Amino acid sequence: MNKLLSSNWVRPLLLVFAVLVLWDICIRVFHIPQYLVPTPLAVLEQGWIEWPMLLRESLPTLYATLGGFALSVLIGVPLAMMIAYSPLVESYLYPLLVFSQSIPKVAIAPLFVVWFGFGVVPKVIVAFLLGFFPVVVTTAMGFKSVESDMIDLARSMGSSRLQMFFKISLPHALPSIFASMKVSVTLAVVGAVVGEFVGSNSGIGYVLQKANGNFDLPLMFAALVVLSLMGVILFVVIDLIERLAIPWHISQRGSAPAASA
Amino acid sequence: MKRRATVKLIGAALLGLALTAGNAMAQQKDKMDKVTVMLNWYLTGPNLAFYSGKERGYFEQEGLDLQIQEGRGSGPTVQAVAANNVTFGYADISTMIKVASKGAPVKAIGVAVQTSPIALIGLAEKNIKKPADVKGKTVAVTPGDAPSQMWPIFLKKNGLTESDFKVVSGDAKTKVNAVITGQAEVLIGFSTDQTNEIEAATKKPAHALLFADYGVNNVGLGIVAHRDLIASNPDLLKRFMRAATKAFEDAQKNPEGAVALALKVNPKAASQEALLTGLRATLPLLHTPESAKDRPFRVSAKAMNDTVNLMVESGGLDKGTGPATNFYTNDFLP
Repeated sequence: MNKLLSSNWVRPLLLVFAVLVLWDICIRVFHIPQYLVPTPLAVLEQGWIEWPMLLRESLPTLYATLGGFALSVLIGVPLAMMIAYSPLVESYLYPLLVFSQSIPKVAIAPLFVVWFGFGVVPKVIVAFLLGFFPVVVTTAMGFKSVESDMIDLARSMGSSRLQMFFKISLPHALPSIFASMKVSVTLAVVGAVVGEFVGSNSGIGYVLQKANGNFDLPLMFAALVVLSLMGVILFVVIDLIERLAIPWHISQRGSAPAASA
Repeated sequence: MKRRATVKLIGAALLGLALTAGNAMAQQKDKMDKVTVMLNWYLTGPNLAFYSGKERGYFEQEGLDLQIQEGRGSGPTVQAVAANNVTFGYADISTMIKVASKGAPVKAIGVAVQTSPIALIGLAEKNIKKPADVKGKTVAVTPGDAPSQMWPIFLKKNGLTESDFKVVSGDAKTKVNAVITGQAEVLIGFSTDQTNEIEAATKKPAHALLFADYGVNNVGLGIVAHRDLIASNPDLLKRFMRAATKAFEDAQKNPEGAVALALKVNPKAASQEALLTGLRATLPLLHTPESAKDRPFRVSAKAMNDTVNLMVESGGLDKGTGPATNFYTNDFLP
C-alpha cells in the first residue's frame, strides 16, 4: 500500500479526486446554480459526449503550440548564446527583450491577423512571443554559469573554441535549456489559445468561445481540462527527453543515493 | 484686532452654513435609492440614453441615485443580474431568454430594441443588397455571439447553405478589421454598432442588410431584473422604468442633445459622429409595427412570441421552453 501511495502518478491523482469531491460538496452546500458553476459530473458527462469533437479540435491548437515552441527554441537558444558570450550584444538586446515581454499579447494579436491573415501564422507568432522569453533568460544564465576554471583548464590544454563549446559549455547549459523549455511549452499552449480567440475557426480556443456564447459551462470546463492535459503531456514529453539527454545531472539521479553506501 | 475677530466670525458662520448645506445634500442623496445598471457594452449609440437621461435628472426625480457600469457583452451582464451583483442590466433579451431557460432567475421588464439590429454589414461598394449576394464571398463571424446564433436560421430561411461562402472567425475587433482590410466582404454584427465603425475607419459608406427584413426578427436590447427584486420591490422597478422611458423619449426627440450629454459624462467614449450615427440607427428599431404608437420599452406580445419561436427553431432553446410570457413583463411600464 505504501509503495503504491508513493508512486509518482497516484499522489496527484488522489489530490485531483479530493478537489473534485470538495467542488461537488461546495456546489451542494452553497446551492450554487448550474449556470454559474457546473458540477464535476456534468463536466465529465459533457466531456465524454463531446470527446471526438474535443480531440479533433485540440489538433490545430497542438500544431500551433508546437510551431510556436519550435520557433522559441530555434530563435531563443542562439540568441541566449549571443547574450551570454558578448556583453556588447547583451547591453543592446536585453533591455529590449524585457520591454517586449511586457506588451500584452492579447492587445496586439488582432494586428497579426490583419498583417498575416486568418490562419495558423498569427497563432504561431503569439505562441512564439509568449514562449521565447523564458528560453532566452534561462538559457543565457545556463551558458554564463559554466565554471571559468574548466574553461581555463581546457584552454591550457590547447582546446579549440568549438571543442570547448561542444564538450563543456553546451552540456553545462543543457539542464537550463531543458528547464526553460518546460516553462516555454506550457506558455506556448496559452499563446496558441489567445491566437485562436482573436482569429480562428478551429481549435480549443474556438470551442471555448462557442461554449461561452451558448452558456454551455460544462463544455467550457471540459475544453479547459483538455487544454491543461495537453500542457501536461507536452511537459512530460520534454521531461522524458531530458532524462535521456542529461542522465548525469543531479535532478535526474532520483532519490536514495545514500543507500548505496 | 476687532476686524480680525469679525473676519473669523464670518468665516466660522460660512463654514457652519456650508457644512449644514452639505450635510443636507448628503442626507437627501441618502434618502434616494442607490441602483446600478450594467450596460451591454461600452458607451455606444444604443445605450447612451441612460447617460443623457441621468444628466437630465430623470432618475434623480424618481429618487434614484443611478450608477452606470459599462459591460463586456450581454451574456456577462445577464449573469451579473442573476448573481445580484447589479440592480438592473441592459442586455440583449434573446440572450437573456437563453440564460433564463437554463435556470437563471431573470426577467425582462422592458424591451427597448424591439426590431432586431442583427445585420450583414460591409462596404456599400461590395454590393451585398440581398442574402443571395453572399454566395462566393467571405463572411467574418465571431463564434458564440448573438449574430452567430441567428446566422444558421438566416441561411435556412433564405435558401443558403454553409458551402455557399467562406467563413473567417475572429473577435469583435478582428471582425471589423477583416472588413476594413478587405479580408472579408461582410461581417455579421449589429447595424447599430459596426456600420459606423467601418465608415469611420475607411471614410467610405457602409451598408447593413438587416436580418429583420429577411425573416429573422428577434428582439434585442432591453432591461433585465432579478425575479427576487420583481417580487420584493415593484415600486423601485416602476420608478426606474418611468425614468428610463423619459430618457429614451428624450433621445428620440433630440438625438444630438442626448449625444452631447453622454459625451459630457464620458468624453473619450467615441466620436460624436459615431455615437450619433449609432443612435440614429437604433431609433427606428425601438418599435415594431404592432407597438408603433406605444411609448418605448412596451414590446408587443407578437414580437416576444416570434422571438421565442425563432430561437426554438434555430436550436437556441429547447422545444419544451415555456411561453414568452415567462420571460418578460410590461407590468412596470408607465
